[in-house]
Amino acid sequence: MRGRRNRKSAAAFVLAAILPVVLLVLSLNIGAYRIPPKAVWSTIIDAVVPGGTAEASPYADILFRIRLPRLLLALFAGAALAVSGASLQAIFRNPLVFEFSLGISYGAAFGAAMSLVFLGRKVPPQAAAFVFAIAAVLAVLLIAGKAASQIVTILLSGVIVSALFQALLSLVELFANPYALQSLIFWLMGSLGQATWDDLALTLPVIGVGVTALILLRWRLNVLSLGDDEARALGVDVRREKMLVIGLAALTTASATAVTGVISWIGLIVPHLVRMAVGADNRKVVPLSAAAGASLLLVADDIVRTAASFEIPIGILTSVVGIPLFIVLLKRSGKVWL
Amino acid sequence: MEIVDTLGRKVTIPGTVDRVISLEPEVTRIIVALGAGEKLVGIDFFLRRHDHLFPLVFPPASRLPVVSNQGQDLHYEEAVRLRPDVIFASPSEWQAAEAIERKMKVPVAALASMGRFDGLLAEIGTLGRILGREGRAAALTSYIKAHLETAAPPSSGTGSGPRPSVYLSFWGSLVRTPVSYEPVEAAGGRNVASGALPDHLGTAGLTISLEKLLVWDPDVILIQGNYPPGERQVTVEGVLRDPRLASLRAVRTGRVHYTFGFWYWWDPALVLVETLHLARLFHPGSAPGGDLVRTGDVIFKEVYGAEGLFSALCRVLECHAWTTK
Repeated sequence: MRGRRNRKSAAAFVLAAILPVVLLVLSLNIGAYRIPPKAVWSTIIDAVVPGGTAEASPYADILFRIRLPRLLLALFAGAALAVSGASLQAIFRNPLVFEFSLGISYGAAFGAAMSLVFLGRKVPPQAAAFVFAIAAVLAVLLIAGKAASQIVTILLSGVIVSALFQALLSLVELFANPYALQSLIFWLMGSLGQATWDDLALTLPVIGVGVTALILLRWRLNVLSLGDDEARALGVDVRREKMLVIGLAALTTASATAVTGVISWIGLIVPHLVRMAVGADNRKVVPLSAAAGASLLLVADDIVRTAASFEIPIGILTSVVGIPLFIVLLKRSGKVWL
Repeated sequence: MEIVDTLGRKVTIPGTVDRVISLEPEVTRIIVALGAGEKLVGIDFFLRRHDHLFPLVFPPASRLPVVSNQGQDLHYEEAVRLRPDVIFASPSEWQAAEAIERKMKVPVAALASMGRFDGLLAEIGTLGRILGREGRAAALTSYIKAHLETAAPPSSGTGSGPRPSVYLSFWGSLVRTPVSYEPVEAAGGRNVASGALPDHLGTAGLTISLEKLLVWDPDVILIQGNYPPGERQVTVEGVLRDPRLASLRAVRTGRVHYTFGFWYWWDPALVLVETLHLARLFHPGSAPGGDLVRTGDVIFKEVYGAEGLFSALCRVLECHAWTTK
């Protein structure tokens, strides 16, 4: 029995290692601009081989300035949202927790709104979204105070801060020029299409560090998910460890949300899908969530790029497809894994 | 009198209309252009708060009560107090006109051009009949028709001359574009997004990918510049500097320009000036020449009867540079 489970886990890890890479390569061949597969490869080879002539390729701009930044952002943002969701669900022992629960999404949305409506181009929406996403998490921790490691306290604080930022967002919308409002609505729907190397240079290192750190903490997440008393009995400083996980999750999701806009449900659904596949052991759930989140967002982005002559905002797709999928899986499994 | 509004509803209007509430900015502008501004007793939130042109065109608007909020919902109690003979609502919301009529027991006509020149001309005619300004409406429609006919160089209208392909970046986003923008066609251009959505969706906006823009590779890129410079999310300079767009023909040839675009549909004078502006951008050698700001002032004088209105708007939008090039 255990042997079969181990084989299943091993297969899942092999798949997790391969799938995002395979999807990335396939996705490089997908887009509104038709590029022959041979040309994709020759352009990439020219770019990576010393002395290559990639710049001479007519496709180099499309591949390296538009398509690749977008795909890398999908990979990293998907991993960030899913790993943060898995980690938060583990430490709060609650399957409903994800970045929305800590006020991150509404904090980021409010920041972007301030930038788009009042600050013009002086402060880019990405920067403002990041600052207010972090501010939202700090506010949650401040309100929760010494009881920040308690599930109910921090979730209630998250609800309060989310509600506050939601109200502030509505207030900004009320005063917004209708055309700034349209920019804001567009931002709130989420998009990977505007990714630039400048964005990635700021975002990917933060997400990379955050996701790696959370994966390295996966053993401790198992201990923390036993409950505070049990974790303390095992010598864990519960408050410090939880703060560390919350801080890392906030940093990664805030970095991702600041560039992509609000992309819902990845952080909630992906960890559940992974648990349904391999069980609730966080040593498996956290790294596999990274791979699954990255893969799912890549596939979702491929769909929005190719399904129609126009582009569907990815936040809409993840919600419209993700929620029914989640309901079906939940009904089939008959239980919530944690 | 019975009229058919933009939604195809038959609306019975009283013989004499002296008190008007308008929730549709384009209708309000036309009412002023028809010389019936004194009949306005209430206007909408947008015109008061966000329109750069209307306060210049009709200064008494600053004293008129605002009868709607940001969402264009009517303040019913205020509207009742103003005792309107007729209310003009936006046809963009299908239920709004019916709901207001049921509650207010006042005729409500949903009128707008919906971004079509024939719609604009029909709207002017209908408003002329309702307000007893048929003569002025006829003169205005003739003036608009005449300008539209002369805007584009003759060669472009028949297809014998080159019609530059044009991409429009509207609504504060590089990747949001209208699938129909008639001033482009009237000025002898071809909107690359045309046909990307079914016709029944009208001028609806479309979100595209940057790759799609590269596939279209337009001759000209137009950016909606109907904002004060500090509020523009997309700028000509930004597009010209963006390395992702460097291979585009429009960027390589420097044919990236501002235009005015929709501003709660159109202003009847501004859309004429815009069409002339576009004709000059598309066909620099053959379109009617002269200083556009001066021409704009003449058009605005004809439509609104006051001097220097377009110059004043250009000072707000800092558009002297992009309309005189």
